[in-house]
Amino acid sequence: METEQAVQNFRTAHANLRAELGKVIVGQDAVVEGTLISLFAGGHVLLEGVPGLGKTLLVRTLGEALDLSFSRIQFTPDLMPADILGTNIVMEIPGGRREFQFQRGPIFAHLVLADEINRATPKTQSALLEAMQEHQVTAGGELRKLVEPFFVMATQNPIDQEGTYPLPEAQLDRFFFKILVGYPNAAELTEVLSRTTTGASVQVSQVLSREALLDLMAVVRQVPVASHVKDYAVRLVLATHPGTETAAPIAGQYLRFGSSPRGGQSLILAGKVRALTDGRFNVSFDDIAAVAPLALRHRLILNFEAEAEGITTDHIIAQILKDVPRDAQVVVA
Amino acid sequence: MLAQAMSELQIVETALARAAQRRRWSRALRGLWHGLLVGAFLSLLVAGAYHLFPLPRWTLLAASLVTLPCLLVGLLVGGWRKPRLNDTARWVDGRQHLKERLSTALELGSDPSAGRWGQLVVSDAAEHAKGLDPRKLVPFRLPKSARWALLFLALCAGLGFVPEYRSKAFLQKQADKQTIKDVGRQLAELTRRSLDQRPPALPPTEKSLQAVEALGSEFTKKALTRSEALKDLASVADQLKDQLKELGKDPGLKKLEQAARASTGSDSQTAAGLQKQIEALQKQIGTPTGNPEAMDKLQKDLQKLQEAAKGLADKNSAGTEAERQKLSEALSALSKQAQQMGLQMPQLDDAISALAANQPELVLKDIQASLTDLEKTRDMAKSLAQLQQQMEKLGKDLAEQLKNGQPEAAQMTLQKMAQQLKAAKLSPDQLQKLLQEVSQAVDPAGNYGKVADYLKSAAQQMKGGDQPGASQSLADAAKELEKLMQQMGDAQQLQAELEAMNRASMCVGTGQCWSQCKNPGFKPGGRPGTGVGTWADENAGWNGQFNDHWDNTGIVRPDQDPRGLTDRGQGDLSDALKPTKVKGQFSPGGQMPSITLKGVSIKGQSKVSYEEAAAAAQSDAQSALSQEKVPRAYQGAVKDYFDDLKK
Repeated sequence: METEQAVQNFRTAHANLRAELGKVIVGQDAVVEGTLISLFAGGHVLLEGVPGLGKTLLVRTLGEALDLSFSRIQFTPDLMPADILGTNIVMEIPGGRREFQFQRGPIFAHLVLADEINRATPKTQSALLEAMQEHQVTAGGELRKLVEPFFVMATQNPIDQEGTYPLPEAQLDRFFFKILVGYPNAAELTEVLSRTTTGASVQVSQVLSREALLDLMAVVRQVPVASHVKDYAVRLVLATHPGTETAAPIAGQYLRFGSSPRGGQSLILAGKVRALTDGRFNVSFDDIAAVAPLALRHRLILNFEAEAEGITTDHIIAQILKDVPRDAQVVVA
Repeated sequence: MLAQAMSELQIVETALARAAQRRRWSRALRGLWHGLLVGAFLSLLVAGAYHLFPLPRWTLLAASLVTLPCLLVGLLVGGWRKPRLNDTARWVDGRQHLKERLSTALELGSDPSAGRWGQLVVSDAAEHAKGLDPRKLVPFRLPKSARWALLFLALCAGLGFVPEYRSKAFLQKQADKQTIKDVGRQLAELTRRSLDQRPPALPPTEKSLQAVEALGSEFTKKALTRSEALKDLASVADQLKDQLKELGKDPGLKKLEQAARASTGSDSQTAAGLQKQIEALQKQIGTPTGNPEAMDKLQKDLQKLQEAAKGLADKNSAGTEAERQKLSEALSALSKQAQQMGLQMPQLDDAISALAANQPELVLKDIQASLTDLEKTRDMAKSLAQLQQQMEKLGKDLAEQLKNGQPEAAQMTLQKMAQQLKAAKLSPDQLQKLLQEVSQAVDPAGNYGKVADYLKSAAQQMKGGDQPGASQSLADAAKELEKLMQQMGDAQQLQAELEAMNRASMCVGTGQCWSQCKNPGFKPGGRPGTGVGTWADENAGWNGQFNDHWDNTGIVRPDQDPRGLTDRGQGDLSDALKPTKVKGQFSPGGQMPSITLKGVSIKGQSKVSYEEAAAAAQSDAQSALSQEKVPRAYQGAVKDYFDDLKK
């Protein structure tokens, strides 16, 4: 009965969180859903979109809806790693003596908003690598654990390429999802205008505590995955590896590098969250296929030919989803 | 809880098992239709090939039957493999959009470590499995292949109404094969009958005839070409000819063959037999003194009186009294005439009595009975006359019998003499008479090989009083004659076989069946064939050494008598028709030398059709070609010429 209750709690929490976000964020269902999946799966999210689409607002609202510490880092070219991680400074202690004390940076929060992450230099961006993967930082020769849960919600602007630094592949791979934030439609835009130009304020409630969130994250990991579904995820990842026997034809043509195993992990974990939110106890092929673009698009490295022809990783993933059979063993009647 | 999960798993498994069974049937049916499609396609292919190419007849049967095994194979292949539950579960998940509930439930249901999550998954799957209906899940529908299969079958059926294409060469070949088989069958049957009727006396003859029979059997069994058949026929015919020539080398057969050629078919009857027949006829007829011609006259007169009697019966008036009287007198005169000829005709007297009693019907009846009796008597008289003529022809003694070529009679005479001598009951006069008859027969016996020697020794032994020795010599002479007759019989048998072989050659050469094909030309001892009248007879000289000294004086050939009108003139042959010897040169590869000869037009209507003459010529040409009688360089030209004749 505990399991059923946990599943029910998950669905309730998900619905509540969705409702709270919905108070502020108009539309952008896929973005919100992707963000929540990442949250419950314990992964970091990279939101990419032109300015003014509500990326920062989404993360800030999420921070408000969760009973978690929240910090925001505005990435600029002159931002230094110490500005993020923290640094040792000389502090006067009682007795007139002075000593170095570590001053924690904004990374020491549950939910970190890395706004316009690509504006920082690679040196600064790299400061996040250890934090994102191992949930710890090394500063002043000391290893410091970050608080759990720890999420990085980064945003980046695909335009304004001048003065920006593309994220390195290692950095990108640490993001669970890369979510593209698109323009709102007419109805959504109208609603946005109505909400933001009348002076009305929206109060976002905290609907999920830290402990509850950690429990729900544990439930997610218990969802069973059938072997053939797991096999499908594996075959999808393998199909992105150019130059191998398992590679899809389009991967061989347009990719330099395929997905890392983290891509497969993302597929399975995201599939589990999706199954739970859908009221199921098992992961389906559809779950894997639905999250594949979010989980894989930032893990595929295009070759020159693809860039010259304007082929995107989304094109390639769509084609791979078509090429890879869901269940290679099933004989169609 | 565990029990509940198990029952829920059973629900899932049962639903899947039903779906799997249905799916298996569906596959089997689809396999059946696919098999039908393949079979129908093969049928169409084979039937089409049969219509286009000269394939054997059985291919058509195969085309019609190939569908069935394909159908069964398709059914078996389709339904052979039993779908596994896992496969079925995944298939149903995909088909019913169950989000992998059933397949995951199957996997976790059998995994005890799945725990509570496994039970939850199974329960969820069982809820969905309850609503599964295999009939809706796997409906039986006709696949696309069914439509194609039916189309192909319809095309196959339609093809049955389309006549097949066969080249002229192929048809000719088939006809040749048929002809060769027919000829072989007839040849074998003829030879078999001949062997049954009269087993040959000489082993070589028997061997030759068996070779002919074997050839006929081979023709019926093997598929030979025309040229091969002709070659085989020519080879065996050569063997027969050689055999005949070997037989012909025996001088003793000369007289026998001459007699055989001159015979009219009744010479084989012995004198005793003829005498018996004559006596029987005489007994039946009585003692008539009139000849058949007189009887004919009597019959005609009687017929006239019969006509008069008919007229009398029709009139039935007073004025006929004088006519009745006249008829009565005429009948009396005829009765007397018949009595004078020795004929007993009591019906005539009855007719006169009936006439007197004015009973014209009875008169007519009596006259008719008289006529019938008279006709019978006349026929018997004619037969008697013929038998008497034959009797006259038979030799009276041994010398005449040998001279006339009557070996059977001579053999009987010799045996009779040998018995008389053996019995040793002869008086000196009788012995002298016997010696005289034997001595006279020595000269005519010169034509019968060793017979003359035996007769000579018999005569000497009789002179010396050695009756048993003479008896033995005469018996030996009789045996020698018998041996000669057997040789003669063998030769005739070989000759008949040779004629059959020639007929077979002609049939094969012209492509006609046995019954249509008649051997042209003159048949020794028989009527000429229906071919062109005066064909040279290649086999006439089976005992060729006689040809140079052939004596045909005295041979009666009524079938060769001149008939009808001719404009060919009398006397010597026209100068234009005299044979001219033309020297030719072989020029292989060049043109055939040709000469122009003057000819005399022969007026009148030919009794032989052109086709028949051309066929006969073609047969001879084929025979000549197969026996290598034509130089190789000219064989092609000769063949082409005679082939053109046929067209």
